[in-house]
Amino acid sequence: MLTEREIILTLEMLRNENLDVRTVTLGISLFDCASHDIERFISNVRAKITRLAGTLVDICDEVGLKYGIPVVNKRISISPIAVVACVFAAEEMCKIAVALDDMAHSLRIDFIGGFSALVEKGFTKGDYALIEAIPEALAKTDRVCSSINAASTHAGINMDAVALMGRTIRRTAEITADRDGIGCAKLVVFANIPQDVPFMAGAYLGVGEPDAVINVGVSGPGVVKRAIDRARAADPSLDLGKLSETIKRTAFKVTRVGELIGRQVAVKLDVPFGVVDLSLAPTPNVGDSVGEIFQSLGLKSIGNPGSTAILAMLNDAVKKGGIFASSYVGGLSGAFIPVSEDLNIAEAARNGKLTIEKLEAMTSVCSVGLDMVAIPGDTSAETISGIIADEMAIGVINSKATAARLIPVPGKKAGERASFGGLLGEATIIDIPDDGGSAGFIKLGGRIPAPVQSFKN
Amino acid sequence: MEKVVVFVLGPDRPGIIATISKVLFAQGCNLEDVSQTILQSEFMGIFIVSMKIEGNEDAVLAALQAELEPSGLFVHLKPMEGSAIGEQTISESFIITTVGPDRPGLVAGITDVLARYKVNITNLKAVARGNRDGQNYVMIYEIDIPPATDYHALRTALLGRAQELGLDINLQHREIFEQIHRV
Repeated sequence: MLTEREIILTLEMLRNENLDVRTVTLGISLFDCASHDIERFISNVRAKITRLAGTLVDICDEVGLKYGIPVVNKRISISPIAVVACVFAAEEMCKIAVALDDMAHSLRIDFIGGFSALVEKGFTKGDYALIEAIPEALAKTDRVCSSINAASTHAGINMDAVALMGRTIRRTAEITADRDGIGCAKLVVFANIPQDVPFMAGAYLGVGEPDAVINVGVSGPGVVKRAIDRARAADPSLDLGKLSETIKRTAFKVTRVGELIGRQVAVKLDVPFGVVDLSLAPTPNVGDSVGEIFQSLGLKSIGNPGSTAILAMLNDAVKKGGIFASSYVGGLSGAFIPVSEDLNIAEAARNGKLTIEKLEAMTSVCSVGLDMVAIPGDTSAETISGIIADEMAIGVINSKATAARLIPVPGKKAGERASFGGLLGEATIIDIPDDGGSAGFIKLGGRIPAPVQSFKN
Repeated sequence: MEKVVVFVLGPDRPGIIATISKVLFAQGCNLEDVSQTILQSEFMGIFIVSMKIEGNEDAVLAALQAELEPSGLFVHLKPMEGSAIGEQTISESFIITTVGPDRPGLVAGITDVLARYKVNITNLKAVARGNRDGQNYVMIYEIDIPPATDYHALRTALLGRAQELGLDINLQHREIFEQIHRV
């Protein structure tokens, strides 16, 4: 028999604390779709994706209904297109993106990720073609996401890729200028990209992954915040040790939800279950914010001194609870701080409480990096590359995934608002000190060597 | 061996179970299963008892009444029907929770729908939550839905009924609660 407390607590998490499964992401390998003929390739891809994902949305909804846990997004991640379609030129890459977008629409898939290239050590012809195609591909589509891995702890930082991505981001923003540069919201530059991320824009299916696999991204910042609030209301003398225990226990519960839903969907689709990504993913809704957790832990606002320490504790406690809850944990698994996607963080950026420098410092302990940061439209490509390089360095040295999803909003300056809609939210443009001072460094190019892995100081 | 079901109902106090078990032991009975519950100040217990001596029901009942009735407890005894182990079913367990202001007819309204869809209630609890103004009255039904039942039709019927009754309703598979709260 279940206890009243167990049932009522679960009900609270669902009704008032925005507990949901953020995404069930079906990974699909496209290696067996390769062809020299673009039409043939696209038709192979369409056949495979339709065969495997044709019932994904209905199954997720059915499972969500059975357990009373909504699956907010249903997504697909595919093998990196720069690899499976390496024979094609930029124009054909763009055609592929448009076809993928069309498939996503017809299958009612929210996002499809994997318009990607892995260039941490250098470029292939396919990598160049894909990166060249990115601006147009992202302008012509609305559900395709693109990620570029430009650095890794084992390879170092490909600074040529960093420079190229600075220019690509600028160009992507320019050709989606009418929508505040929304193309850049679907483009992310990574260091140490995991092969099994279910979250966008970084989702792609790594080469070591099975033919098809279900990966799940949970949510639940609201649940964590309310658990902290409840614990503190019940006992105001709780210290951070006890509060991190509360976070850990809550992360356990949230992870179990994700694993249960993911496994059920995997069984029904008859594909293996991959991982649960433990990341606390916020949405632009009240009560579903990572930023609010900082306030529940005593800060006036995220961005105040102490923020990095809180984020480190939060990230670690979430991992500890989640790893106990599921045998297969992967992806990014930590706390996200996407500025525009989190009402509270967006507010802190608007008030000037959260600067780019503080954000960067915080990314050294969080799971992703500079995420959904709107920057002035006239920020130079070299400055964007400089920010990316710094972010890559944090990931490479700390052997962790970091990323930069920067949106230079065309025609807008710091303090103005940019709106991307839906889960992407809206944000005030953050000030970027840009005196062109990074250009000399970025022009040097080459590859920053892989760091030594001992003598850690 | 003959089995009987004993029901005991009345004001709760310490020692009820002790008295019952002592009498049953003295009468040569074996206590197989017990379930008891207390609602506010009322005690209710169901005991499944195997009798060593056939046809001893009247003596057992009389002995129990002699001990329990002076303290206001009502005793009933009846022969048990059916086998000890219930029929094996492959129905799935779900939990219904309703939240809303208390008023007469809530349980009747919901259970009417459940009965129509041949859904068995295995446990039912009602709790007042928060300030006891009756606005946050929570009812928890543990139910078994037979495989033949159309889940979507049942769900739609429950949602409709809950709306008529002014209740928020949730219907969820039991496993979600176990997964979340139990290691």
